Amino acid sequence: MAVENLVWGYIYPNEIEIQWSVLIVLYPYITGLVAGAFIASSLYHVFGKREIKPVARFALLTALSFLLVATMPLLTHLGHPERGIEIMFTPHLTSAMSGFGYIYSFYLIVVVLEIWLSFREDIVKNALKCKGWKKQMYSALALYSYDISGKALHDDEKLAKKLAIIGIPSAAFLHGYVGFIFGGIKANPWWSTPLMPIIFLMSAIVSGIALLILLYIAASKLRKKVLNYETLFSLAHYLWVFLILDVALELLEIISMKYESLEEIEIIDRLLSEKIATTFYGVQLTMGIFIPFVLLILVMVMKNREQLKTLMIAVSSIFVVIGVFAMRWNVVIGGQEISKSLSGTNTYVPVFFSQEGVLPAIIILTIPFIILLVLTYILPPWKDMDEDID
Amino acid sequence: MQPHLKRAFIILVLVIIGFLFVRSFIVPESFGQYGWYRGDSVAELRDIPVGYAGSASCSGINNECHKTTYSIWVDSRHKTVNCETCHGPSEKHVIDTRVMPEPANDTREFCGLCHFKRAARPADFPQIDPETHGENLKCAYCHNPHKPWFL
Amino acid sequence: MDLSRREFTKFGCRIIIGAAAGATIVESIATLGVAQEESSNKEYDWNEHLWGYVVDTRKCIGCGRCANACKLENEVPFDEPVYRTWIERYRIVREGTEESVKIDSPDGGIKGFAEDIPAEEIKKAFYVPKICNHCDNPPCVQVCPVGATYKTEDGVILVDYNYCIGCRYCIQGCPYGARYFNNEKRTADKCTWCYHRITKGLLPACVQACPVGARKFGDLKDPESEINKILDKERINVLKADLGTKPKVYYVGLDREVR
Ligand code: HEC
Ligand code: HEC
Ligand code: HEC
Repeated sequence: MAVENLVWGYIYPNEIEIQWSVLIVLYPYITGLVAGAFIASSLYHVFGKREIKPVARFALLTALSFLLVATMPLLTHLGHPERGIEIMFTPHLTSAMSGFGYIYSFYLIVVVLEIWLSFREDIVKNALKCKGWKKQMYSALALYSYDISGKALHDDEKLAKKLAIIGIPSAAFLHGYVGFIFGGIKANPWWSTPLMPIIFLMSAIVSGIALLILLYIAASKLRKKVLNYETLFSLAHYLWVFLILDVALELLEIISMKYESLEEIEIIDRLLSEKIATTFYGVQLTMGIFIPFVLLILVMVMKNREQLKTLMIAVSSIFVVIGVFAMRWNVVIGGQEISKSLSGTNTYVPVFFSQEGVLPAIIILTIPFIILLVLTYILPPWKDMDEDID
Repeated sequence: MQPHLKRAFIILVLVIIGFLFVRSFIVPESFGQYGWYRGDSVAELRDIPVGYAGSASCSGINNECHKTTYSIWVDSRHKTVNCETCHGPSEKHVIDTRVMPEPANDTREFCGLCHFKRAARPADFPQIDPETHGENLKCAYCHNPHKPWFL
Repeated sequence: MDLSRREFTKFGCRIIIGAAAGATIVESIATLGVAQEESSNKEYDWNEHLWGYVVDTRKCIGCGRCANACKLENEVPFDEPVYRTWIERYRIVREGTEESVKIDSPDGGIKGFAEDIPAEEIKKAFYVPKICNHCDNPPCVQVCPVGATYKTEDGVILVDYNYCIGCRYCIQGCPYGARYFNNEKRTADKCTWCYHRITKGLLPACVQACPVGARKFGDLKDPESEINKILDKERINVLKADLGTKPKVYYVGLDREVR
């Protein structure tokens, strides 16, 4: 049958079926976007970078909307989704995956609280101003407590800052641990590296910032408002910095693998040259890192010409977002395409309509944008963008 | 503490208590009995019914059912080949003799699984050339599967 | 509808107390249940055993009866490419001066191995039966997020089919490819060394089916057991020893090409 053409060399008989599909590619991708967006907002909330303020609350909403769907690809993928909650009830602590439930919930609480605190003034004002069901909703959101005196707001802000400080390590943890899920698998030479968590984290931040840039540009265009170039360029600047860290780590991993040339190097070489050559060298490195890297340098050296620079930043961000997806793909799918017998490769063929197919993946990837739309309707973050900073 | 913060805090505590409450029902009772797993599952896995009864249940120890076949088999060259390796799992038949096991596969290919010439087989294992040996007749035509050298 | 602070707290307190009381009751019922359970495990004491497995690759004839018996005994989906045990064929092929290793395992060896390379080109050839190693330091148990797979006191790695969530992390974690996803149960699945047989004093189905004694099973704690005799006499090896999994399947006559 066709199976023979997909297999090269010898793979263990049980490896014919690829276990982790495109949904599992999506999962680290989505948590990455969450972690990145949150860290972008912390640039303002914790490090006081005022030029980020216009998008700080927007970034939080983005983080929340992606966070809410982060469990979906996992649950869809499980053989017994109804038993998924066991991961919270009886987490087996030696497993990297077992932390998921708790880290996720903790982080969700932090993000929700952070959003609640930073929007509370608006919520209370709406609760007092609106009528009908809206009044009910905002009053519930305000927990029927309407104190927005200077002192109350000041306390909120202090707590929000503390939360943001807790939030950074937990964002790093949430995503670093996703990297460890792969990095801790000694059976798989393509995954097993201590660099994995930090590579995941860097690419997470990169993808989160890029997504934020894109959403910011899109939101401004849709609302027919002018962009705040200072914010945009400073985001682009951070994107560039994290890109450097990201590429340094990714290359370090490949180079040391090739240099050390352990037993598995033959199969890794084959993986890189035959199986994932385009997605790795083409999409992940060239499109996802080098082109944006060069474009962003140009943005930084060029004077004036805001329109062109915005376009270049937008293009870089799109490339980065795609490149990071390719990176997740290369890790998750690439790692499964090599046999643990180290003497053969398999091929992943995505199916469209199936529980673990491309269709559910697309659906899951569009849900966060719908959630974001709803969230921005309930809690509009626009006034930060519109009022002039400085 | 501000009242709204207090309320948020209470809600959080309530959620956690609710979680612990639900957890106390849902986690199986035997979980953690021996280790970080459901203790009952060990018994469940032990209680799976057996499929292969073993050659000794055909005759010899518990019964004399297949006395002739058994007695010629025990001192044949095929004594290392279990009855059920050719006849298929027969525990059900042993428990209730009205349930007949599937008839043994008597094709050339079946004997050939063990006896056809293969490069990877140990050289001292008796192997035959499938093309020439036995004029394409069924093996049992000349060999008795229960005692290959009965002729 | 401004809920007063008092009411809010009062309501909260009530729920807390209710929940705590409920939890205590449930807990006490649970402990009662456990006490009654103990007695059913009497006749077989798993502390008296430590199972081990020996494979003599020099004897294997590649008939595939072991893999066949395994599928029938354990109701492994017969026509799907999933195996609790399988046989690999290694052939070192000489073409001119070039040498290459050809490995295959069509249908896990259940339907035998066809001869598709001319005998003159084959320099060396042998079969290697594979099975779960029931590692003493099992990576699959380590990575299971919920405790649905575990090592028993007698050293067997089992899967709790009624608790496994089907995340397949263990399948990724196993370096030997010994685990698979059971599409009927929708859980991970693997060799149990026929736990339902060995605890009744029978041999695993694969061992019983082997016509040449290439597979041996026994108790490592019993100094008189057949496998201990072999381990004392032969030079043995395990698969992927460098991964530190400490397998309990010991191989006699293992070639360096085997992975
Ligand atoms: C090498 C494979 C093989 C083994 C081992 C084997 N059998 Fe058979 N058996 C056969 C075949 C093939 C037949 C069909 C006989 C025929 O066509 O003559 C058969 C037939 C029989 C029959 C049907 C009655 C008859 O004589 O035709 C009985 C009963 C039987 N076997 C019992 C046993 C018992 C008991 C054992 C173990 C002690 C055993 N067999 C081991 C291959 C085997
Ligand atoms: C499961 C594997 C298996 C099957 C199936 C099997 N045999 Fe055997 N056969 C053996 C083994 C093992 C021996 C003993 C070899 C030894 O003693 O070295 C043997 C020995 C023999 C011998 C004696 C060879 C000698 O040199 O003395 C003959 C003849 C024979 N088998 C014929 C058959 C026939 C006919 C069948 C089909 C009904 C059959 N075998 C099916 C495994 C098998
Ligand atoms: C026409 C009768 C006949 C048939 C049919 C037949 N054999 Fe034989 N077989 C013999 C004779 C005679 C010998 C002994 C002479 C020899 O070694 O060739 C023998 C020998 C053997 C041996 C021992 C060879 C050795 O080198 O020790 C095996 C194994 C064997 N047969 C297996 C089979 C199998 C398997 C089949 C079915 C595919 C089969 N035979 C069919 C007549 C037959």
